[in-house]
Amino acid sequence: MIRYGWLGLIFIATLILPLVIGEYWIHVAVEILILGLFAVSFNMIFGYMGQLSFGHAAYFGAGAYATGLLMVKTSVPLPICLAVSMITAGGLALVIGYFCVRLTGIYFAILTMAFGQMLYYIIFQWYSFTGGDDGLQGIVPPDWIIQVTAYYYFTLFIVTGALIVMWVISESPFGYTMRAIRDNADRTRFIGINVRKYMLINFVVAGMFAGLAGGLLGPFNRSIAPDLCNWHQSGVPVFMTVIGGPLGFLGPVIGSVIYTFLFAFVTGFTEYWPLTIGLVIIFVVLYMPGGVLGLVKTKFKTIGAKESMDAEA
Amino acid sequence: MAILKVEHLNKAFGGLQATNDVNYEMQTGELSGIIGPNGAGKSTFFNLLTGYYKVDSGRISFQGKDITNWSPHRISRLGIARAFQVSNIYPALTAYENIRQAILAQQKRTLNFFTPAHRLAKKETQELLEVTGLSQHADKIAGTLSQGDKKCLELAIALGSKPELLFLDEPTAGMSGEETHETMNLVKRLNQEMDLTILFTEHDMSVVFGYAKRLTVLHQGSIIAEGTPEEVRKNETAQKVYLGEEA
Repeated sequence: MIRYGWLGLIFIATLILPLVIGEYWIHVAVEILILGLFAVSFNMIFGYMGQLSFGHAAYFGAGAYATGLLMVKTSVPLPICLAVSMITAGGLALVIGYFCVRLTGIYFAILTMAFGQMLYYIIFQWYSFTGGDDGLQGIVPPDWIIQVTAYYYFTLFIVTGALIVMWVISESPFGYTMRAIRDNADRTRFIGINVRKYMLINFVVAGMFAGLAGGLLGPFNRSIAPDLCNWHQSGVPVFMTVIGGPLGFLGPVIGSVIYTFLFAFVTGFTEYWPLTIGLVIIFVVLYMPGGVLGLVKTKFKTIGAKESMDAEA
Repeated sequence: MAILKVEHLNKAFGGLQATNDVNYEMQTGELSGIIGPNGAGKSTFFNLLTGYYKVDSGRISFQGKDITNWSPHRISRLGIARAFQVSNIYPALTAYENIRQAILAQQKRTLNFFTPAHRLAKKETQELLEVTGLSQHADKIAGTLSQGDKKCLELAIALGSKPELLFLDEPTAGMSGEETHETMNLVKRLNQEMDLTILFTEHDMSVVFGYAKRLTVLHQGSIIAEGTPEEVRKNETAQKVYLGEEA
């Protein structure tokens, strides 16, 4: 219960946040939310299913282009665009996942990446439809969320809702079946579960939420570019999850806060962002392998253990 | 009708004939053992029966239904479960969650996305924890359990599938003398009280003679003797290839 109390406090804090920080940092906060959702969707595959998708940007990008194209070329309302983003990304994940779930480990990672790069080149080259490497400009959000503060609340609402749905899934029998597949796929076959089918379903669900995150990005930036599908972008949720910790549901969100904040802060005065994030990753991997969340958990455990020892003495 | 019928089963790995023209039949309610020295092909036989390996030739049927070369999850759903020789559990989940997972799969609830798993299959999971003597370890992470407890958990997962036919691959491997007898008594109870047909492999002779009603001796992939424990003990071929080694 204490845990849910903390979540309530954090949520209230996120509601008050725009009133106390400047406009630049509200922009950063929106990005934290969008990328946090992207990273949590990635972690459905990485943390819960135990496979590294190195092409997760494909679904993020597909979602971004679905909403972007609809908003530039039609007058479909934004919520419907976002739903289309989820369906588009989910459909793409269904096709790509069909092949990828046949493999595991490094082969899974390479194949997801290869498919991701294919999508990147298609979008990059298809000038007449996607705008090619010029990207898409003029994705203007509807009037009621044209102010950044309003867009922040809109994003907060959608991301919170999506996180709750993903949390519920992670605690459901399906979520536990994912953990079972991660822990021991062979054993899971012998209790009567079609492992590939379940992996594919999870892949599609993760892709849909990545698509939703991508959909939120275009109207926020007013433009999108094919780089959203590139493998650099697939690395972003990997970094976030490693920093925040893959074994807790909110780990990737914590990672997004640290990564995105650091990016906004560091690029303010130096061009050496890759160097900075490189050092952060090295530090995390060497000294806190469970990420921030792993560190917090072991600290709490140590405190708990001390208490019980005191009680015995 | 035989619950399990195996006809002319063959499997080779490279030049090694691991299963050589095996014919085998089990009746419902049997508790039988397969013995043989290490490398006799016991585990391979189980892997063929449960769909983990594809057969080279031959036919396997369960309750009259041809299940040759079915995938493991389909065979499992028919009511065949197995426990492995090296305990094959979910090390990062708790003992409770390990067992619940098998039960949820058996109840076909694993495509449920929205009910918290901790609310489901409570009674069934507790029951199995008690039956296998793991109640006090329910909330322990399975990877931290002792070898003996891991083997019990392995058995509990297999039972979670509510099988009609259960394969136990060396169920007491790595257990102390006392644990061995507890486990084998449990196996006997499962067979008698829950009407479960059980086939187990074993290389420890004392275990086999105490519990199985029928024994099959496997040697270099072939069945060389079959009968009651007493008959097998007296069988000359069996003595030569297997019992002789022990003496």
